[in-house]
Order: sequence, then C-alpha cells, then structure tokens
Amino acid sequence: MALTGRAGLIAALGAVGVLFAPRPLYAVLGLLLLVGALVAVDLLFAGGVRPLRFRRAGERLVRLGEPVAVELVVENPGRRRVRGTLRDAWPPSAGAAPRHQRLDVPAGERRRLVTTLTPTRRGDREAVTVTVRSVGPLGVAARQGSHSVPWSVRVLPPFLSRKHLPAKLSKLRELEGQHPALVRGQGTEFDSLREYVVGDDVRSIDWRATARRADVVVRTWRPERDRRVLIVLDTGRTAAGRVGTSPLSRASGPGGAGWPRLDWSMDAALLLAALASRAGDRVDFLAHDRVVRAWMSGGSRTDSLSALVNVMAPIEAELVEADSASMVAAVLARARRRCLVVLLTDLNAAAMDEGLLPVLPQLAARHLVLVASVADPRVAEMAAGRGTAELVYDAAAAEHLRGERARLTARLRRHGCEVVDATPDDLAPALADAYLALKAAGRL
Amino acid sequence: MAAVTAPETAPATETRAEATSTSPTAGSIWRGARGGVVIGVLVVVVAVLTALVTGTSTEGRRLDPADATLSGSKALAEILRQRGVRVERVTTVDDALRLDGPGAQLLVPNTVTLSSADAARLARTRADRLLVGPVIGLTTLAPGVAVRSQVAVRSREPACDLPAAARAGSAHIGGATFTAGAGGVGCYPSDEGPSLVRTTSGPTVTVLGNGAFMTNQRLPEDGNAALAINLAGARPVLIWLVPPERERPAPGSGRASAADLIPAGVPWAVAQLVVALLLVAFWRGRRLGPVVVERLPVVVRAAETVEGRGRLYRARRARDRAAAALRAASVARLTPRLGLAADATPQEIVAATALRTGQDPRWVGSVMYGPVPSDDAGLVALAGHLDTLERQAREP
Repeated sequence: MALTGRAGLIAALGAVGVLFAPRPLYAVLGLLLLVGALVAVDLLFAGGVRPLRFRRAGERLVRLGEPVAVELVVENPGRRRVRGTLRDAWPPSAGAAPRHQRLDVPAGERRRLVTTLTPTRRGDREAVTVTVRSVGPLGVAARQGSHSVPWSVRVLPPFLSRKHLPAKLSKLRELEGQHPALVRGQGTEFDSLREYVVGDDVRSIDWRATARRADVVVRTWRPERDRRVLIVLDTGRTAAGRVGTSPLSRASGPGGAGWPRLDWSMDAALLLAALASRAGDRVDFLAHDRVVRAWMSGGSRTDSLSALVNVMAPIEAELVEADSASMVAAVLARARRRCLVVLLTDLNAAAMDEGLLPVLPQLAARHLVLVASVADPRVAEMAAGRGTAELVYDAAAAEHLRGERARLTARLRRHGCEVVDATPDDLAPALADAYLALKAAGRL
Repeated sequence: MAAVTAPETAPATETRAEATSTSPTAGSIWRGARGGVVIGVLVVVVAVLTALVTGTSTEGRRLDPADATLSGSKALAEILRQRGVRVERVTTVDDALRLDGPGAQLLVPNTVTLSSADAARLARTRADRLLVGPVIGLTTLAPGVAVRSQVAVRSREPACDLPAAARAGSAHIGGATFTAGAGGVGCYPSDEGPSLVRTTSGPTVTVLGNGAFMTNQRLPEDGNAALAINLAGARPVLIWLVPPERERPAPGSGRASAADLIPAGVPWAVAQLVVALLLVAFWRGRRLGPVVVERLPVVVRAAETVEGRGRLYRARRARDRAAAALRAASVARLTPRLGLAADATPQEIVAATALRTGQDPRWVGSVMYGPVPSDDAGLVALAGHLDTLERQAREP
C-alpha cells in the first residue's frame, strides 16, 4: 500500500475547514474518517499488482561505457486496469534509466517498457526487482508490490586499446610479409616447397628436393606460427589500486579516482590477445590470486577474443596477497609446451621479494616470461615536484619508489624475464610492441 | 505545369517556419500557475462552505442572562424584568452571598464549575435555590436529591401537583432524572424518574435535569416560557449565578496575550495539519521497491603509499633519506648519459659530470655526494641543483 499526494492535500485543505468548524474535534475525526474511506475505496478498486506477468528481452552483453536497452513486457491478466508507476530496479553501477516509468496496462493487455542501462563498472549486473505501484481510481492510495524478474547483463571490458590494433597489425604484416619470404632468418620457419621462378633467390633452392624432381624447387619461409601465449593476470590486492584517470569519465569532468590496475592490465591483455591470434598464435588466459579465478584455453582462433572478453568480465581484484608459488604451479600444470607467459602484475618490491622472485627461476626455466606492469603517472608527477619542502619530500618518496622499481626490473631481467613497465595509456601498445619484438627475434 | 505549381508551394514552405519565440504566452503562464490557483480556490471554497454551513462561529454562553445567542437566556431575563423581578447576574459566589436574603432565589445553571467550598457556602444561604442541569454536588446544595439516570430531552407532561409545572403544561425537558427524598415533589417523569424535583425542607430547592427550555432557542416552544417564568420568577429577586467569564480582552486593549487572540479552532487546525503532514510523510517516505545493495570495489589510489611515504619524510624531517633518494635517482639517470658503467665509482661520476657540465668538480661533488642538507630550504636547493646538473648534462 502507498498513498499519493492527494491524501495529504485533502487533509491539509481540511485544516481550513477545521479552523472554522464549531466542533473542531469532530471535524478532525471526520476528516480522518473521510481520508480513510477514500484510501479504502482506492485500495479496493486499484488494479491488482500480484497477478501481473512480466517477461524480459534484450541484450545480455554490453561493452563498458556503452548503453544497452533491456525490455520489460508487462502483461495484465486481471480484470482491472493497472495504472501507476513502475520501477525496474538494478544495482546502482548498472546506471539504469529512467528510474521510474509510468505504467498503464488495460485489463488483458500488455505493454513494453524499455530500461536503458549505462554501466559504470565491469562485471555481471543482475536485475533486482520490478516494483509496481497501482494507483486507485480516486488517485488517493495505491497498491504496491514487487516481482522478481531475473535478467543479467554482462558488462565486458571496453577494450579501449583496440584503437592501437590496426597499427600493430600492420607492423605484424610487415614482419611476416603478406607473402611467404624466401629468405630464411630469425623468427621464421619452413613453410613449403614450390617451383623456382625467375627472380627467386638462388640461395633458397632446395637441392635435395630438386634432385628428387625434374624441376628446380625452392623453399619458402614464413614467420613462426602456432606458438603459445599464456596471459596470466594477477588479481591480488595490488591489482585493486587505482591508477591514472578513468578513460570512461574523461568526457565528463575529472577522472575521479582513476581506474584499477586490473582494468588497465585487461586492456593490454586484450590487445595482446587480438594481435597474437591474428599472428596465428594460440592464446590462453589465467587469472590468479590465491586460487585460479579464471582459466580459458584458447580454442578456435576466430572467437577466442570474444571468449576472452567474456571470461574477463566478472573478474574483480581480491583484497588478498597473491600467492605466486601457487600461480607458478598453476601455469606449469597448464602449459606443458614452452610458451610465452605474460605476467600482468605490479612491480611491488615487497610483494615480489616474498612472492614471485623465489619461484621465478622455476617458471623461467621452462617458459619465456614477460612481466608487464602499470606504472603510476602520479608518481612521475610527484617526482618532478620542486619548489617547496613538501613537494621535494614527495619527490624524494616518488624517486625512492622508482628506484625500487628500477632495481626490481634489473633483477627480473637477470632472471631472463622481459619487463614492460609503462603508464596506463602506454601499457597496451608497449606490451604489443614487446610481443612483436619477441616474435621478430624468434624467441617465442 | 511545373511553372504554375512552384509559386504555390513557396509560400507554404515559408509559413511552416518553426516558431522560435521563447517568451511566455498567456497559455503557458496559465499552465504554469494553474496548480497554485486551483489550490487557492479550493482553500477559499472550503472556508466559505464551512462558514456557511455552521453559521457564526462565536459560541454562546449557555443560560447566561446577558447572552442573546441561541444558547443564552437573555429573553427569559428580559421577560422576568418586565414582570418586575429583579434579575441580578453575578459571576462569583461572593456577589451571590451579598445579595442573599429571604426574598431571593438563587439560579445556578451549571454546578459543574462550582468548587465544593463554594457549594458549601451557597448551601448556607437563606435564598431559594434553582439548580439547572447538568448537576453535580447535589448532596450539598440539594440534600435528599440524587441523580438517578439520564433520559433524552424532549417534550414531557408535568404529571404532578406543583403549581408552576401544572400551569405551564408540557415542556421541553429531560436530561438527568432524580430520586426525591421524603417531602420532595417530582415532575415531568419518564420511566427513569422525574426530571424536576422540588424539596421544601429548609429553603425551597428546585432541581432541573436540563435547562434547554430556558434558552433563547427553546423559550417560545411548548410550555417552556411559562415553566421558566414560573420557576425563575417565583421570588422578587433572582440571583443568576453564571460561571465567571473567561477573560477575553479585546484586541488592542493592551491586556491581550498572543494566546488570547488565537481563535479556538487554530489548535485543532494545527492538529489537522499534523495529520496532513503524517500523510505526506507516508506518501514521500514509501519507497518504490527495496533498497538495492551492491558490493562495491575498493577505491584506493595506487599512489597513496607514495604520498604517505612523502608525508612521513616530511613529518620526521627525514632530510637524509630524502636527499639520498633524490641523489640516487639523479645518479641513476646521469650514469648512462655520461657513458659510464652502472658500477662506476663516485669519483668517476663526479669527474665526468663536472667535465660535461663545466661546473666546479668540488661543487658537483658536494651536490651529488655532499653532506645532508641542514634544513628544508637546503633540501629544496639540493633538488634544484640536481635538476640543473641533469639539464646541463642533457644539453651541454
């Protein structure tokens, strides 16, 4: 049950009558009775909320930062018209609009309402309840009730770094050439034999094959393919830290509290995965803090990126210290062949000393390890602070951190790891470049 | 044909131009204000209707000989005066006692307002007593008479030998009924007993269950007037004791307090407004569906640890650590630029820097490896010097 403003208005107007009434007490009691009677009549004749039937339709997937429409069909099997307000409740971060909608469903008919979600956060958003307030014929009181109409929308990572993909792909094409190369070099593998045509490099003639056949045959080469890339995402506490400015809120005012390292790492991972799958490599994905949060084994190449995006969507940073030993064990158990392990984590001296560095040799012995980390632009900004004592102390603290990171980077490199340490905006292209460089060098 | 149609269509497109005026029109002003106007009209209508339905709002003083409203008794007092009865309207027991005498009759239209002490004082008077209901404290003022029950006020027959009642005939009476003690006469009986009782042991005491027949409104009906005149005009002097008037000083008299000037209906109207407020509160307070809870991610800036460390340096005035961090960072940036190995000795670095920048090697040495600055200003200066060296090494 709910009242409308009219009940209060009647009572307030009644106060004028009470002011002039000879028996004010009876006037007050009479007005109470009147309002009560009107409310009772309204409640009696309002359309029932309980028998309403609901159905949903619409999108189930949306990229973060884009709107998505979810339809709600309201069917009124009752005998009375249902007129009033409807609220399709979603969690606040789903950004549902409008919050309230007018509803007018005659008996036996159905109406379609559209709620537009503009999610502000990655992950699964579940519809909570649908609440209907059905106002009676006098407009004084309303029946109210809620229905559970489940629907979920998965908010995918925005993959903002896809703008870098064309440039990186053209670099890749440059690397492998649109045509198989005739020159053998680093990062190439044997492709096929074909007949010699005038102009081919005579050094590429395969004499043994030529001897077997009547024609002269040359070997062709192509960049190595079918390598494995295993992207490991650290979802421990360091991934929760916010860095840079949120790319989604840039248009509307200041960047707020920034974007978690996890999201920047995902962005970089997606670019790398897109690039690697185009380059013919197989991409696996592992998210890990103390336990395995997500695992995706790269299946067919065509849909691996969408599958990856889907797997990433619900991952959140957990406020626990990552367990590097168990992570390494998980990687070793899943990757039997040599592969490129891209470890997206934070170069945090304290955490690395205890966690990753002792177990890194185990991993580096069997795989090529690339550690990628998001650097905080705020630290660089603080390191440049000069002028007042406060700023210089801050600069000293920032330099201290940068020194630690540099030492850590050097130690990792000594272990044979590649390290990419870049600011949020540069991480994705830097990681892609590192991958291309490794591919060009034939180190995969 | 086309030449003919073209001029026809041209003005049509012209008139279809969009209206661009943004100033309010009469219609838009009305639409904006009609809500307030409707509420204002409703308030006035409700007020006027209430006033019309209920008549004047001034409430009469019941059975007051000076009151000309429907519930007053000015008519009866005037008639008695014309008949030569001296009607004395008093409001205090003291005044009543002053007029006391054997030829007087005391009319008390409301014993409820009398205190028991006042009642006892009145009981000692020599005057006859005419008590009009509602009555309490009868044991003092009318010994031997007791209230028995309550009946409706309507026209009743006297059915007794009391001359005043018998001559008057039927009258509009009822209210309380009594049991008269020994020697008492009861008139206007109902099933529950008489509504008029007279006892004559001591001064004549007449008790009436209800005084409605004496009001201005009822006096012309039935035998009311006769009964009232017979009862009240029995003695030459009628002491009419009415409850003391509540002090109602007129506005502007200077004695009026704010509470006196507030009409009686205002507190009730305020109560009604409170009811309205509660209804509005319920209207606004009722949520459309439950509160939606959501597990929110932590919002912590990654740079907070660095900022915290900077603040710790500042709080402890840790110039040594700050200077060491700044110097180490500068050296780490300078070494590759100067073409030195990472494990170069301080002497080599100072020498190479001085050579590249053209600065005094001793000054360069004191900046890069010198003592810890003695104050914050020294630290700021050191940071500046390191910047200078780096810049000069970058662009000699």
